[in-house]
Amino acid sequence: MSPNPTMRAATRRRLPRFDREWLKFAAGMLLIALVLAGPHLVGMATAGHRLDPALKRPRGPSNVVVVLNFTPERFHSERVTSYGVFAGRDGALNRIRLRMVTPENLAALAAIPWVARIEPLK
Amino acid sequence: MSAVAPSASSARLRLDRVAWMLLPAAPFVAVLAAWAAYWQIVRPPAATLPSILAVVQVVGDIAGDGRLGANVLASLWRLLLGASLGILTGVVAGFATGLYRGISEFLSPLVIFFNAISGIVWLPLMIGWLGIGTALAVFVIWNTVFFIVFQNTVLGVQLVPEVLEQGVRALGAGRFETLRSVTLPGALPYILSGIRSGLGFGWRALIAAELVGAPSGLGQMIFAAGDYHRSDIIIAGCLIIGVIAIAMDRWILYPIEQRTVQRWGLITDAEKEGV
Amino acid sequence: MSTALAPSRAAPLAAPAGFLRMFSGFRVLLPFAALVVLWWTIKIAAGISDEVLVSPATAFAAFVRLVDTGVLAEYAGTSLRMIGACAVFSLAVGVPIGFAVGVNRYAARSCEGFLRFLQGVSGIAWLPLVIIWLGLSYKTTLAVVIYTLIVPIVFNTMIGVRTIPENYVLALRSLGAGRLRLATDVYLPGALPSIVVGLRLGMGYGWRALIAAEMLVHSGGLGDLIFSARTFNQIDRIIVGMIVIGCLYIIVDRLIVQPIENLTIARWGVLRK
Repeated sequence: MSPNPTMRAATRRRLPRFDREWLKFAAGMLLIALVLAGPHLVGMATAGHRLDPALKRPRGPSNVVVVLNFTPERFHSERVTSYGVFAGRDGALNRIRLRMVTPENLAALAAIPWVARIEPLK
Repeated sequence: MSAVAPSASSARLRLDRVAWMLLPAAPFVAVLAAWAAYWQIVRPPAATLPSILAVVQVVGDIAGDGRLGANVLASLWRLLLGASLGILTGVVAGFATGLYRGISEFLSPLVIFFNAISGIVWLPLMIGWLGIGTALAVFVIWNTVFFIVFQNTVLGVQLVPEVLEQGVRALGAGRFETLRSVTLPGALPYILSGIRSGLGFGWRALIAAELVGAPSGLGQMIFAAGDYHRSDIIIAGCLIIGVIAIAMDRWILYPIEQRTVQRWGLITDAEKEGV
Repeated sequence: MSTALAPSRAAPLAAPAGFLRMFSGFRVLLPFAALVVLWWTIKIAAGISDEVLVSPATAFAAFVRLVDTGVLAEYAGTSLRMIGACAVFSLAVGVPIGFAVGVNRYAARSCEGFLRFLQGVSGIAWLPLVIIWLGLSYKTTLAVVIYTLIVPIVFNTMIGVRTIPENYVLALRSLGAGRLRLATDVYLPGALPSIVVGLRLGMGYGWRALIAAEMLVHSGGLGDLIFSARTFNQIDRIIVGMIVIGCLYIIVDRLIVQPIENLTIARWGVLRK
């Protein structure tokens, strides 16, 4: 066994310098990609749980209520209302009415991870 | 070179040298010319782009009524205060850390992290603790300067060859004597490089801090001018900020570095040449 | 370097060698654990109110909330996208400019002082003027950050080209190389280490300028997050934001830019000073 800490450190099995840098780079890129795309991927994966069954196969623009589990901030309101025509709150601040939401926009809304539910507007 | 026309070639040499001296002014002249040309042709509103004359006039105005002097002094005073604190604490902490491996290994991750948020990132938190004013600006500068000087000092202390220290010890020098005669001069190039860097960063951080909240100072001057759409004051202020930055570096810090480091024949890090 | 005489006393204050070693050495987390303990102790012992300093638990709860509501991802994403776009643009534009200026001795001499001056007038100082020109939008932030990034890149590219020994250029030319060949085989590899150093410096300056600009322009980004939280005294959000800013910068600098720098030097570092 190596006699002292310095020797042990020197003889410890390590990847060659070159490969270590590539690993670091890959890890860094992965982490950044996670921050940038992670939420969207999570949202897409769980999209099915969000849509009310009545809205699963929309044949045209629908009127919906987007329900959040928290009081929306400026950013949330801006994002949600970009997918349809804003038609006021549905009784509470965290229930947003949207009219004329096209099927594509509806799918996009369902893919947002922080949206709790999307219900049809009665 | 032919010996036939010595006067012609020496005249050309002198012309070359004069041209060489004047070259750095070329881009400035080009920018001024473009500015003047644009202003003549497009005649933009004063709020968007004032004429060169307007800027010169405004400099005269604010210098005349003392506002410029007051603001420059306020900013420089904050820089002095914050930088001195930063240098002092940075060097002391740097020595303490550099000399003891245990401390340096323990602190290393913390230093890397706090260095990443040094400067204005502390602003929102510190506004609550220190209020808007000189204390805030001094904190931001201290923060910026401290980490740079600290890291450079640690590097400098650690890179002093142990052989030299052991040699002095073998001759009977005590702890303090070793520090004074070997470690300090050995680390000095790095410390000075750190101070020079730190002051540059510190000046920039100061302006940013003053932009956000300060009762006086150059940063505050241009920010307030922005509220009133006084582009002439903004441009004047920016130019003055740049001039002070260059003056500080070229005429104060560089000569200090030259005279101490080079006079003592210490080896400097060539990488300093970069911006 | 003075290290030629004897090995240095202790490892320089750089990150421990070996990315994998960081995994097995959870020792790197120990100082932070100690810091959190210190933080908590001070908060409780000094009885500091939540308006001034929140406890680590509160801050963590705020972190979870910010992640759950998608706020953190959005604002962090905005900042990351901005710095990434500015870096790419600055490289694409700055490197050619640096080449063009660096190749000619006189051009280099004339631009050096100008670039230092631009560096002294940091991008942040220009913010009020840019706000007048471009309004309070992402365009302003973009302009300011690009300015901050491009100056060190041009400067260091210029230096990189300048320090290529003329013999290399002459040698290739004597073998009949044309301009393009010279550019790709001599100038580019020779200047590359310097360019990457410039990128690293620029990213440092640029990230700070980005946060500052976001604070003032108030349209998204981490700087906006922590500065707006100030208005509502949401200290927990401020602290979470600060930690995220620090962590993201460390990731970008140590896991992306530094490896690029090291790989470049390893490959082409022959001419490095």
